[in-house]
Amino acid sequence: MTVTELLRAPQFSLPQPEKERVLVDQLAVLTEHHRRNCGEYDRLMRVLYPGSAPITRLGDVPYLPVGLFKSHVLRSVPEADVFKILQSSGTTGQQPSRIVLDRETAQRQTLALSRIMTHLLGPRRLPMLLIESPSLIKDRHRINARAAGLLGMMNFGRDHAYALDDQMQLDPEEVRGFLARFGHEPFLMFGFTFVTWKYFLLRLVGQNVDLSNGILIHSGGWKKLQEEAVSPAELRRRFCSETRLSRIYNFYGMVEQVGSVYLEGEDGYLYPPNFADVIVRHPITFEELPHGNVGILQVLSVLPTSYPGHSLLTEDLGVIHSVDSLACGRHGKAFSVIGRLPRAELRGCSDVITTSGVE
Amino acid sequence: MELQILVPEIRSAPLEEVVSQFAAPQAPLPPFSDLIVDFCAELSQAIFRDREASLYAELASLAFWMRRAELARLRTDFGKAARPDIVAMPRGLVFHIPPGNVDTIFIYSWLLAALTGNRNMIRMSSRRSPQSDILLRLWRDSLSQAAPEIAQSTVVLSYGHSDEVTRALSLACDVRVIWGGDHTVTAIRTAPLSPHARELTFTDRASLAVIHAGRYSELDEAGRSKLADLFFNDAYWFDQMACSSPRLVVWVGSADTVAQAAAVFWDALRAWTQMKGFESPAAVHMRKLVFSCQAIIDLPVANYRRDPEATVLQLDALASQPHEHSGGGLFFTARIDSLKELVPVLRRHHQTLTHFGFDGPELRDLAARFGGRAVDRIVPVGQALQFNRFWDGYDLLHEFCRFTYCESQTGPLSPSDAASRVRT
Repeated sequence: MTVTELLRAPQFSLPQPEKERVLVDQLAVLTEHHRRNCGEYDRLMRVLYPGSAPITRLGDVPYLPVGLFKSHVLRSVPEADVFKILQSSGTTGQQPSRIVLDRETAQRQTLALSRIMTHLLGPRRLPMLLIESPSLIKDRHRINARAAGLLGMMNFGRDHAYALDDQMQLDPEEVRGFLARFGHEPFLMFGFTFVTWKYFLLRLVGQNVDLSNGILIHSGGWKKLQEEAVSPAELRRRFCSETRLSRIYNFYGMVEQVGSVYLEGEDGYLYPPNFADVIVRHPITFEELPHGNVGILQVLSVLPTSYPGHSLLTEDLGVIHSVDSLACGRHGKAFSVIGRLPRAELRGCSDVITTSGVE
Repeated sequence: MELQILVPEIRSAPLEEVVSQFAAPQAPLPPFSDLIVDFCAELSQAIFRDREASLYAELASLAFWMRRAELARLRTDFGKAARPDIVAMPRGLVFHIPPGNVDTIFIYSWLLAALTGNRNMIRMSSRRSPQSDILLRLWRDSLSQAAPEIAQSTVVLSYGHSDEVTRALSLACDVRVIWGGDHTVTAIRTAPLSPHARELTFTDRASLAVIHAGRYSELDEAGRSKLADLFFNDAYWFDQMACSSPRLVVWVGSADTVAQAAAVFWDALRAWTQMKGFESPAAVHMRKLVFSCQAIIDLPVANYRRDPEATVLQLDALASQPHEHSGGGLFFTARIDSLKELVPVLRRHHQTLTHFGFDGPELRDLAARFGGRAVDRIVPVGQALQFNRFWDGYDLLHEFCRFTYCESQTGPLSPSDAASRVRT
């Protein structure tokens, strides 16, 4: 199977053994491609993986830590072919990641995302309620990762309306207007998890708003919600009881692998699409862990050809629950993201310590 | 503006009150007065006796360093430089800004300034370790029973990041001591000092160990374990983030000898580290992996070996190390034929060189070759963290003193001569 075939086939349709066979071949080819075209990557491979054993399993695919993209711009295409450099939003005081895209990779990412979303939403664009403030994307010259995510998702809807005003307050008129026009047929909602909870759901309490025809897609990390002690199950339960919304899908993804989105199934677990996969590794030994154990997530994707990001060790903790269980009709690994690796308080003589780069 | 006072007692006080109390001239104690020496010795005893403090090796080490016998030795040492025409007195008020998170530096900094008779203001970070809190508690207990001259000569305060407070305290002090790296020093320096005041700065530093491969190979198993123990203390006590902890291990010897010695050394260190039960949190392992990748791209790294206890990055050629470091047990290593090859590579920010297998003349020759351009401390492996009056190129006891030059009249106009003239 080629990359194009992986994308074209119905998503979540490949049984794991078959999928791994295809991915191992593709990822081995990509590893060679990046070694030939990115000097830094080749150097890393020579030192980190001397004697380069053949890649026969997914776990054999060499990985880079995702944090490396914060200090180094790695490129596997000629500079003239660079189409765009994506930047992560990054929390304050942290360097953002910088990801080099050529047209080909960018197009493949867009296609990949659309294949995943149409699996969920069907081929027709649905009316779309954005759980965001319109000011987020007003200035198209200063687009952060959150705005880029929103713009990407807007492609899957039509007749966009914003549920929040410029001050991030709920705009009840706008929401009621949208529901009056489209609430009787399937419609799409999108927002960042924390915003969706705090600025949307909590403000709808007791307002008797009916979202039962809606499909909510949300993303963006659970960290802030964990601080408020809200679990994914609690988010679902509250939406259902307050608004009768039952179709809620979280997704997991990152700027270092745009397009490779891990979408929640109806069972509440995340599923990799055909062209991507996850591995869980021990947080200290980095050895692959048996399913059921919590460890660091490694993400693999056949999309990146313009930068060596096809196999990345993330800083997120996760667990694989089952493989090919078909619990909600999806093949592949069912997994959850538990959260970020807990930050380590650094000791030391210097109280301004960065890990940014080696000058 | 209210300040949180932590020592001598926990309370809050307005900035003006603290400044007016401390800026007012007081009758100073001379250097090494019995009052202050007794107080420090008692504080040392209190740390030794405390159950909670006994859980932390670095606190025991601090208490040992300020025990009565050591203070007496320091007093004798200080006295050796005495001259009849010099009267040593304290400089007055010292404002200490210790690093955010090496838990004991603030006591060392205070100790040398207090022993020489100075009054002290110490700014503590709001994120404090259990070790710091233990020290502050014991300090309060000891001060509550101390003579008023001692009890009123020290204040420890916490005020977050207020420029206003830093400016007021900076203007009030006679000496400002800034620990905590280049960023901190640069930031604090925007607050001016009084024109007469002076400043000691402790900037970002890096340290290394040098081992003679041939002499290491002659060690028996007990000797290798002992050296692993000493090196472990140097490197791992503060998660390798203390500026005097080694990050680079340089081997001196032929390629074959070094290859053999190094393999044995790292195995012994791994074994010792496991035995000590040292473990870093997962985030540190991730940081080490990211840092390794950065180093492999940017430096001539020929070989990478990762174990949970230690990551070793072997350099093709001795190269200048990066300023940043991951900590948690990550070492660069390189081989040279003779000590003098270190000279062109080491820079101003290199602080401590720990050594094994070299004699005094070899090391003094090396120190002279650095020509004041690099390296402030050359000490045996195992003593990297051992605080000393000589630190970062300063003699701290000296820095905290004001020296009054005092020459009496001699010859025909001397008082004794004049007296005899009046009588005749």
